[in-house]
Amino acid sequence: MILYGGKLYDNSFQDELTERLRADIDRALDRDISADTVINACDVLSKRVIDGKYDDVVIPLLNKLGMDRSELEKTAYIMSGEGLRIKCYRELDEDMSIGSRVRKRYPLGAILHIAAGNADILPAYSVIEGLLAGNVNILKLPMGDQGLSVMLLRELTDIEPALTDYIYVFDVPSADTARIKRLASLCGGIAVWGGDAAVRAVRTLADPDTRIIEWGHKLSFAYAEPDCDDSELYALAENICRTDQLLCSSCQGIFVDTDSKEVQNALAERFFEILKSVSAKYPQDAGIRAKNTINVYTAELEHKNVLSGGGVSVTVCDDSDLTLSGMYRNCWVKRLPLDDIGSLRRYKGYLQTVGLLADDSRRGYISDRLARAGAVRILRPGAMSDTISGEAHDGTYALRLYSRIVETEV
Amino acid sequence: MSSTSRLFSTGARHIYDTGDRLFTDAMRENVTYHCKNCNEYRQILSERGYSPDRIKSFDDLAELPFLTTLYLKRHKLTSLPDKKLIIKATSSGTSGSRSLVGFDLKSLMLGKDMVINVGLYHRLWSARPANYLIFGYEISKTNTTAVSKTAYGFTFFAPAAHREYAIKTEADGFTLSWDSVLAALERYSASPFPMRTIGFPSYTFFLLEHMEKNGIRFKMPKGSLLTVGGGWKQFYTQKPDKRRFYELAKEHLGIDENCIVEFFGAVEHPILYTDCRCHHFHIPVYSRVIIRDPDTLIPVKNGEVGIVDLLTPMMHGCPLSSIVTDDLGVIHDEPCPCGAKSPWLEIIGRVGVSGIVTCAAGAETLLKGENV
Repeated sequence: MILYGGKLYDNSFQDELTERLRADIDRALDRDISADTVINACDVLSKRVIDGKYDDVVIPLLNKLGMDRSELEKTAYIMSGEGLRIKCYRELDEDMSIGSRVRKRYPLGAILHIAAGNADILPAYSVIEGLLAGNVNILKLPMGDQGLSVMLLRELTDIEPALTDYIYVFDVPSADTARIKRLASLCGGIAVWGGDAAVRAVRTLADPDTRIIEWGHKLSFAYAEPDCDDSELYALAENICRTDQLLCSSCQGIFVDTDSKEVQNALAERFFEILKSVSAKYPQDAGIRAKNTINVYTAELEHKNVLSGGGVSVTVCDDSDLTLSGMYRNCWVKRLPLDDIGSLRRYKGYLQTVGLLADDSRRGYISDRLARAGAVRILRPGAMSDTISGEAHDGTYALRLYSRIVETEV
Repeated sequence: MSSTSRLFSTGARHIYDTGDRLFTDAMRENVTYHCKNCNEYRQILSERGYSPDRIKSFDDLAELPFLTTLYLKRHKLTSLPDKKLIIKATSSGTSGSRSLVGFDLKSLMLGKDMVINVGLYHRLWSARPANYLIFGYEISKTNTTAVSKTAYGFTFFAPAAHREYAIKTEADGFTLSWDSVLAALERYSASPFPMRTIGFPSYTFFLLEHMEKNGIRFKMPKGSLLTVGGGWKQFYTQKPDKRRFYELAKEHLGIDENCIVEFFGAVEHPILYTDCRCHHFHIPVYSRVIIRDPDTLIPVKNGEVGIVDLLTPMMHGCPLSSIVTDDLGVIHDEPCPCGAKSPWLEIIGRVGVSGIVTCAAGAETLLKGENV
């Protein structure tokens, strides 16, 4: 399915429409589309989502993701007028003039969004970010896209027809690098969401004069003082069970501020019991349980120290490496004394959120140490996967990356 | 003659017979052999207090410690020196990492006997040349996936008049083009030779859907076969009803349901499972399946869904006697109209598939696309 000029086309029009794209992009970029226009349209869309207009599509999606309506409303708020205004206010500081020079922000140009298939709302959200900065946006649909992105973006152009010239969606298979290259060559920037392989592939196919904006996969973890409160461990277990450790901001495991094996074991055992009890509240499907069973059996073959039962596991490790967990409620516990926290620096580009379980008197200091080591969000364990309007993304502001700063003398 | 050799020389007409005696003896031979020749495997068995002499009846095999495909992805276990492993195959790496399996001459010869007899039973052998359409990569030095090798191997069931690959290697990567596939189909439909396709069912289904969407129809020459293999992998959530698959094949390629053959197998269990005319994967004499409870790994009764454990004494290069895969399946033992006596294995999905691709793990497949 292709979305072009506000209309839907069959994939067989791919070549013909790609042909027309350059001229249409040029025409759109000669004009200005204000952030207010985009924000107002998104506000209408977000209200319609909350009012249940798209429930026939949205409800099955929520069920699939195991989310309830309140989480949907949080997401819709991020796309609401108020949410987006906060975002623009934070990210796009317009008053930048010095002396006789006038500094102004302009859109980067056209942006090709290569979205990942793991979060259904993300492809459309990426396009909205591009729009807020005034760009023309070409979305390459992720594999397995269920049609939600096209539906949302088409609604947006219905609400605000001025946006039609700024939104294009193509359904190009990722293996078709020649076509993707053609689309990329029309763009000033490529926003890529996905794992290392995706990022690497985009780096190879992009021309040297094209900006690549990488939203790569990140790893998040908890940092805990050995005597942290049970209540904090419960909050962490909630994050693990609710997200099944699938998000970039999900906790993969716990680094304990200790160099003692006994202390590490004690915390692992304490957390295992808590994780088990929290997990019981969130049902797991048989396929996931089977995967967990196989993973735990394999870990035992490998002589790993695994506490397992009730569909969850905690692996007690001797290394201090930041690794992906088995996910689906299988986490690790490792030792990492505060003095060695700088060793996390070797994961530079992969660090994201740290859920910090520490006494209030030491939170500030430890947060600073974690930030210096490369973490970009250091939050309380229960808030690891919460997003708020206007927050930075992976340590930077998206809208600035989608912009150019132009200086003129008047 | 060893029990294993006797098992693999079972005549074509008897490959779906029942009876566990010979299989059990061959398994004891195989497990004893691996214990002697692979230190890690011996250690795994001894840590679990299992000795190969315990294998007296089929039930004793349920207790045999199994390996997992996950374990094989992380550890290379061999029972023969590297130079004796003539062919090395890697799994398709659906989830990123791959397991490497080596085939020695002896196992290959057993495999050859198996392929000949399975081909005879299912009438896949033909002296008449065929035009092949392969939904996969051309094999090359860098592409060692077993899927590619099997697909290539498959093109010898009938002499190849032509081989067309759907995914082409180019200087800057792989390209998949429906246009060139459709062009090949058009040529093949006008050829005097039948066509045979081989590839993942998902690809074949996507092609048929593409043809349906665009109203494209061909009538393939008589005797054409649509063969699919390799499972649905990451496309489980898009798995169509088989009925619809057969209808589309009839409608858009003029190929009847009884000319659609599905294979099942795994690098870690290279037994050629072939579906019967009722589309059931009967368990051949070379293999046994134990379905295990998703929580406890204890064998479940026939008819119940669980984790699939595949057993075979075929392999000598690596200790693949009993392997737990990432498949979920069920064994059916009700009689099948096709006449084959053995129960059949139905694969119903993969463990861990929940409809969402993981984020933290990385959807590496994004730009590799529909990876093979």
